[in-house]
Amino acid sequence: MLQDLINALSLGSIYLLFALGMSLVWGTIGILNFAHGAIFMFAAFASYVIVEQVRLPMLALIVIGALVGAALSVAVQVLAFQPILQRAKDLRSGEMQILIGGIGVAAIPLAVAEEETGSNPFGFSASSYATKTYVLLGFRITNTQILVVAAALLIAVAVIAWLRMSRSGLALRSLGVDPETASLMGVNRRVLGLGSMAVAGALAGFSGVMLTYHLGAITPDSGDTLLIKAFAAVILGGVGSMAGVVVGSYVLALAETIVLTQTSGLWVDAVSFGVILAVLLFKSEGLFGRKEVRRT
Amino acid sequence: MTAWYDSNIILIQSTFVGLLTALSLQVPIRFGVFSFAGVGCYGVGAYTTAIIVIRLGWPAPLAMGAGMLLAAVTGYLLALVLSRLGGLYLGMATIAFDLIVTVVVANGGELTGGPSGLFGAISDVGTVHVALTSLVVVVLLALSERGRFGRRVEAVREDPELAAAMGVEVRYYRQLAFVISALLGACAGGFNVLLRTTIAPTDIGFSLVTLALTMIIVGGSRSWAGAFIGAVIFTWLPSVLEFSGQFQKVIYGVIVALAAIWVPGGLIGVVTDAYRSWQRSRRAAGPGDAGPDDGDRRTASPRAEGTPA
Repeated sequence: MLQDLINALSLGSIYLLFALGMSLVWGTIGILNFAHGAIFMFAAFASYVIVEQVRLPMLALIVIGALVGAALSVAVQVLAFQPILQRAKDLRSGEMQILIGGIGVAAIPLAVAEEETGSNPFGFSASSYATKTYVLLGFRITNTQILVVAAALLIAVAVIAWLRMSRSGLALRSLGVDPETASLMGVNRRVLGLGSMAVAGALAGFSGVMLTYHLGAITPDSGDTLLIKAFAAVILGGVGSMAGVVVGSYVLALAETIVLTQTSGLWVDAVSFGVILAVLLFKSEGLFGRKEVRRT
Repeated sequence: MTAWYDSNIILIQSTFVGLLTALSLQVPIRFGVFSFAGVGCYGVGAYTTAIIVIRLGWPAPLAMGAGMLLAAVTGYLLALVLSRLGGLYLGMATIAFDLIVTVVVANGGELTGGPSGLFGAISDVGTVHVALTSLVVVVLLALSERGRFGRRVEAVREDPELAAAMGVEVRYYRQLAFVISALLGACAGGFNVLLRTTIAPTDIGFSLVTLALTMIIVGGSRSWAGAFIGAVIFTWLPSVLEFSGQFQKVIYGVIVALAAIWVPGGLIGVVTDAYRSWQRSRRAAGPGDAGPDDGDRRTASPRAEGTPA
């Protein structure tokens, strides 16, 4: 039982690292980035390409992954989302076009990675980092799991503290409440938009590298699955609430672990889809969301 | 001609199935309902048809009819349940529904064949049937884009509050969008399973949503013609792009991204805009129409357009 809990904790941490960036961007500048999964995957893929050439330690790969993720995320914002928002006639049609544009943009890195790997899983076997398994009181835990959990919690706390305490965090939150008024108060929407996309991309890249270490290898299409799960985690916690994402990620991971161990068959994926439907139907502001968030 | 037809029969059939699938997403968008439930209903229709044909041995039209009926009921129930949601949230909820359908059929055991799906749904359905059905569907949809009904649908999409104030029952139109979308999706799914004789959970997942959405984004989401253009392009593009070899998927992605970002109205939107501006410039150049009151007339009601000066 406790073994399941440890597994749920590390799975939830991966979800958290991934969903945190998505929620940051969605809750503040109002962009639901469907290319987030592709950015996540491509950052891990770029690290894989480099580590095949040069034998690097884990830290270097994490830095590479985060940088690639941030660069891609900023590129998506500049090349896709900004033009869409400038040309959209209202917020509603802009939202849908961003969803569609994100799906379109995501196809490019996915195609490149699938081309290079032949759609096969890739991993960091050439890295100098080695997975060790510790046995504590009869429970098995790997050093990667410890790292993932610690990093996820630390980063989540850091992001929450940044949003709550710093001036730029306040400015970003004000964009989430009322972008027009915030601009009038001297908040630079363009710069903050790029900044939050860069942070989100770095988080996606980081989680991509960590998940690859955790699982040993990932396939190019693993971003899509994770995207839906992260969406479920964000919705469950409440859009715009960072603490909500933390709770949502771990609750989702725990529920999936329970379903995985208690049922036979392939029902585990139904958990996240069911969570999305159920939350949207019965408590559309999520567990910690602001009541006034627009839901129509 | 017949040689070409024989060697491309699969692609020709796929074009019609693709058209019906794309229409199942295009119709709700035209009603202002951002629903992807058509793809889930494609799965419902395909599996119901396959199960009935394989297990009960009913004739194909009856089996497809049963599949479409079940899908229509599902669509109506979804419309009732999801009536509070709109925009992005409706889109995500219906994607969740589509994916739940794939998980359910993957866990259906004997009945649905589990992860490997169903085989051997053999019937005498051919290209003629799917082509004629598509023709009927397109004619009906083209009619629904005109006249009183077409204007009401436009009002429901562009300004639901205004439409309601003008006496249009917005709720009823939204439910109608769900049901039409479900019927079209189930029809496409039924035809696909009867033409290919197999169906598997991987055929109806997120990739089908992306493909159908891609078709109407590149073609244009305002009219059936956009869905048709998109279905033709994305059914035939892979064979046209064969020369590019390994970059095929990358080119595909670039086309979709460019269309989504720069041509939100799709190809049909570009053509319509070009035709309108050509008409306008012709009218402006015409005799007696370049008076000082020209600007006033252009801002007048759209119905005044085309009336001789």
